[in-house]
Amino acid sequence: MAQSSYKHLDETWQQDRRPDRKTLKRLYNYGIPYLKQFILVFILIFATIGMTLLQPRLIQLLIDNNISILVNPATSQAENSQALTGALQMGLLYLGTVVIAFLSSYGQAYLLQKTGQKILKTIRQSLYDHILKLPMTFFDSYPQGSLMTRVTNDTETINEMFTSVLSNSLRSFISLAGIIVIMFIMNVSLASYVLLLLPFVIIISVIFRRIIRKIYFAQRRALSIINTKLSENISGMRTIQVFHRQKQVGAEFDEVNAEHLRLSQKEVTYYATYRPFIETIRALGIAGLIWFGGRQYLDGIITFGVLYAFIDYIQRFFQPILELAETYNIIQSAMTSSHRIFQLFDQETEDEGGNVSVPVEGLKGKIEFKNVWFAYIEEEWVLQDVSFTVEPGEFVAFVGATGAGKSTIMHLLCRFYDINKGQIILDGTDIKEYNLRGLREAIGVVQQEVFLYSGSIIENISLNRPRVSKADARRAAEIVNADSFINNLPERYEEQVSERGSTLSAGQRQLLSFARTIAAKPSLLILDEATASIDTETELLIQDAINKMSSNRSMVAVAHRISTIADADKIIVMHRGRIAEQGTREELLDQDGLFNVLYKLQYEGY
Amino acid sequence: MREYQTIFPFISANKRRYFLGIFALLFVDAANLLIPQIMRIFADWAQFGELTRDRIIWAAGVILLLGLMVAVGRYGWRVYIFGTARRLEYWLRDKLFKKYLSLDDQFFNHHRTGDLMAHVTNDVLMVRHSMGGGIIMIIDAVFMTLFTVIMMIYTVGLRTSLVALLALPFITIVVLAMSKPLHQRSREVQDTFSELSNEVQENISGINNIKAFGIEDRRSADFYEVNNKYQEKNMGMLRISVLFDPLIELISGISLVVFIIYGINRIREGSLTLGDFIAVLNYLRMMVWPLVAIGLVVNSFQRGIAAMGRINEILAVQPKVSEADSPTRIEQEDTQDRDSNPGLNIEFRDVWFRYEENLPWVLQGVSFELKDAQSLAILGRTGTGKSTVLNLLLRRYDVSSGQILINGTDIRDIAFKELYEKIAFVEQESFIFSRTIADNIAFSSDGNYDPERVRLAAEFSQVAGDIEAMPDQYDTWVGERGVTLSGGQKQRLAIARAYYQDSDLLVLDDSLSAVDTNTEREILDHLDEVQRGLIMVSQRVSTVQRADQILVLESGVISQRGNHKSLLQDTDGFYARLYQRQLLERKLGEESGEVTQHGSKQL
Repeated sequence: MAQSSYKHLDETWQQDRRPDRKTLKRLYNYGIPYLKQFILVFILIFATIGMTLLQPRLIQLLIDNNISILVNPATSQAENSQALTGALQMGLLYLGTVVIAFLSSYGQAYLLQKTGQKILKTIRQSLYDHILKLPMTFFDSYPQGSLMTRVTNDTETINEMFTSVLSNSLRSFISLAGIIVIMFIMNVSLASYVLLLLPFVIIISVIFRRIIRKIYFAQRRALSIINTKLSENISGMRTIQVFHRQKQVGAEFDEVNAEHLRLSQKEVTYYATYRPFIETIRALGIAGLIWFGGRQYLDGIITFGVLYAFIDYIQRFFQPILELAETYNIIQSAMTSSHRIFQLFDQETEDEGGNVSVPVEGLKGKIEFKNVWFAYIEEEWVLQDVSFTVEPGEFVAFVGATGAGKSTIMHLLCRFYDINKGQIILDGTDIKEYNLRGLREAIGVVQQEVFLYSGSIIENISLNRPRVSKADARRAAEIVNADSFINNLPERYEEQVSERGSTLSAGQRQLLSFARTIAAKPSLLILDEATASIDTETELLIQDAINKMSSNRSMVAVAHRISTIADADKIIVMHRGRIAEQGTREELLDQDGLFNVLYKLQYEGY
Repeated sequence: MREYQTIFPFISANKRRYFLGIFALLFVDAANLLIPQIMRIFADWAQFGELTRDRIIWAAGVILLLGLMVAVGRYGWRVYIFGTARRLEYWLRDKLFKKYLSLDDQFFNHHRTGDLMAHVTNDVLMVRHSMGGGIIMIIDAVFMTLFTVIMMIYTVGLRTSLVALLALPFITIVVLAMSKPLHQRSREVQDTFSELSNEVQENISGINNIKAFGIEDRRSADFYEVNNKYQEKNMGMLRISVLFDPLIELISGISLVVFIIYGINRIREGSLTLGDFIAVLNYLRMMVWPLVAIGLVVNSFQRGIAAMGRINEILAVQPKVSEADSPTRIEQEDTQDRDSNPGLNIEFRDVWFRYEENLPWVLQGVSFELKDAQSLAILGRTGTGKSTVLNLLLRRYDVSSGQILINGTDIRDIAFKELYEKIAFVEQESFIFSRTIADNIAFSSDGNYDPERVRLAAEFSQVAGDIEAMPDQYDTWVGERGVTLSGGQKQRLAIARAYYQDSDLLVLDDSLSAVDTNTEREILDHLDEVQRGLIMVSQRVSTVQRADQILVLESGVISQRGNHKSLLQDTDGFYARLYQRQLLERKLGEESGEVTQHGSKQL
């Protein structure tokens, strides 16, 4: 079973990589605003390579024009001292190339990295902003972990594309071209000889690259499978131990690990063959150069300096070719990451709604559901033909078993999802006509799960919304009776909290959530099981808060606690996605229906 | 370096490889050192007009030969040293994973999965680097530096060599000086990266909150701050790191210029030939890498040592729950006939338990006995210690005081293998592995499972229908951690898995919570039919009511015991009240029926 598991994981992994030309184009669009920087980088690369390539040439001139005179016993004193000054000048010139090369290569690398970082920041920010605008349906189906990877790691890989790939390939091409040009200027026949080696090197590189690339990716895949297995087995360790499968699981892991080792050894061997192969060609080139060049020197066709320079150049000649081959791996993984990122960018963002804006004074709060049908997954109806009306200022409560569709109604009111059939009308206008942002601002939702952001209490109430001042936030905390516990915190409103590692009780968190909602003075209030996790102590405080909050606005609530909905003007009992009963508490208690059962559950039992 | 003791067995087993690799490396270094000498001889012949065609052929031939030697030697050390480093990576990873397999719940509760993974991935990699590239760097740094200097002195004498080498030690100084701040800044980058990840994670998990409050812009602005900080930290690191190569080039360039100017004068004096000059130029260029290596090797081994230290820490952990050195076999009558299996005799004798010394008691004097393939149920609210009872029975932890006996043998004296073969367990949160359905059900087999038994197990747990509706049926691949399955399906699969094991005792830890009432009833019917011991924990009366023995657990103390009938007598008792309440709930549930299955779609 183990090898099948390896194969399967292997396949799923492979499906993930499908880069194309379009991806590359989109990627480079991000570079366009930095054209100036890239041009400057190009110039600096040019300068750096120019300087480094000048160096062998300077040594050649030094040997031919100066040293040859100095070592010749036949030259005069005057010639000698002139050659010496010339040599010193050459030395200084060499120093000049070293210094300029230093400055330009540092400048180039710095500028390039800085630009890369800026591009990276832009991509990351726009990706993040895009994600925030995606509809809820997207978040229901896309794994959270993958989303994280897109924003964090994948963008990082793209950065490589703009920095190392771009500069390495440019550098390699320029120096290759530069070496060829200089060599031809110095001596055409020797240059042609060196050039003759190029096809061999390229052919060998291409062949080796093909093989190595395959193995490299197979090896990377094996590694990612190791990680998958590892995380799965660590999380499922208990199960493994309880079934006493350590040996088998160990053997399975060993298999994957051994596969990785096998591929690694292959990779090592191929690299170990490739480099020496190229080096052999280089040695062959140098030997040939000595042979050809030596004879030309003997025949007086070239100077010794030229021969020396050629030997130097031929050594530099191979470097860019080797480097070009290395960049290929980076391009591959950067393309995969970009492809994934752009796929995410291609996800359509949430519909921003129509152009009806919520009036400044707020909504009146008349809600009408007209024969609403809704399904999260096609054909699996969660709401079936639901119709009801909430009059302005009314408090309507929804009750029913888990999964009856209560919370769905709340989600639809906020337009987290769009309905399949029917109509939802708010103050006489279809909710689709409202501007989405305005709609959500006008509706205040208290959710069951309170999400705390890392920051202070006051920030968690105001959420840094521009329309909520600090004073608003404090007043809201007072209204919902949260100020008493906040004032008992060491830093009061400035106390730092975070989602993990917070010491606030469930009830306190819930009070914060009430404050958060009420701070923006919504004209319509939704409580989505907001009182589910509250201790009896806070219950009274919250009850009081709810009463205050609902006094001047429409309120719709889903609640498990009968006490929460005790004051409701109307109670709607949901059952299998339909409305089963509705009426006031007294009316419903008189019937022998669902509500009666629910009520008993709450007050009898325990 | 004491940290590396752990890998001594590996090193001594691979002595030959390391020896050959180092030998090949020295061979390459030697050949490389000779090349400038050939160039020198060649240039000197040219200078003094002694160059002939034969000598040209000789020089070309020797260069080619040396080149081939370098190539062969390089192949050798790459295969032997890098290849062995990869073996080491495999070896260490295997060792760590096997260690994990032997550690207990206590360990895994105190270590985050991410950290445990990092040891196996990053730390192992760092050790590999230190034992691969690190060794190359040591050899190159020591031998290349030493022999290049010797060759230079041999070629041009001590004084000229000293002048030429004057600037080069700065390379090592620069590398050493840079590596520390570089390391520190890269840590800062890593920390900010975690901050960034947290920000993304926090907001993605709170996305419905963000949407409900319409605070996308605010969250975006907050992200901008972290994003910006990350960019700044990165630039802080890059400012140094991009200086690395240019600076080394600069220093080596300067040393070249110093030599050129000094050398020219020596040439004029006639104490230096053209060949010497060229040889030194070559040697100077050859010196750069070993000097960089001296600087890098320190860093590489520092990191290797730190990584090795973290690995050793894990390898040194002794599980608190450990197997007895000479385990006692469980005494049991050998029966061929399953139907008359007397089952196991389980006894808890005044068991007290707490997770740590300074934590409150979880179980306080729990005693009970189960025999003759009967069934026992433990009922109670969350956090009352129900699951702890099972954890102790499965030796996930050892009792603080008291005793747990199986057929009269203390559980601590029983071999793990025997214990876990006798007991089949269904966890509260069923963990499903990414493999086929059949492989998951036959998890307790050695890979050669009996398809018929797999099917029977699936039928037993009422999951056969679901499986047969899947595209590949029993060969359907289950996604990572069973993501492709619903909670109820996972639970039923876990029950099938335990049933397949065919043990004497079946233990269910609230394992029917995600299963709807009808299916639960069917499964309970099946459980009644099997003739083996059964222990189950639940919060639902409907699940436990058929048990021969029911224990009510409240705050770690058994508050009521009896069977369904006898417990209902005490109308004010926990059991009877819970029963009433759940009857009502059941009524409600029956009326709302299947809809419950879709409830998971809620935000």
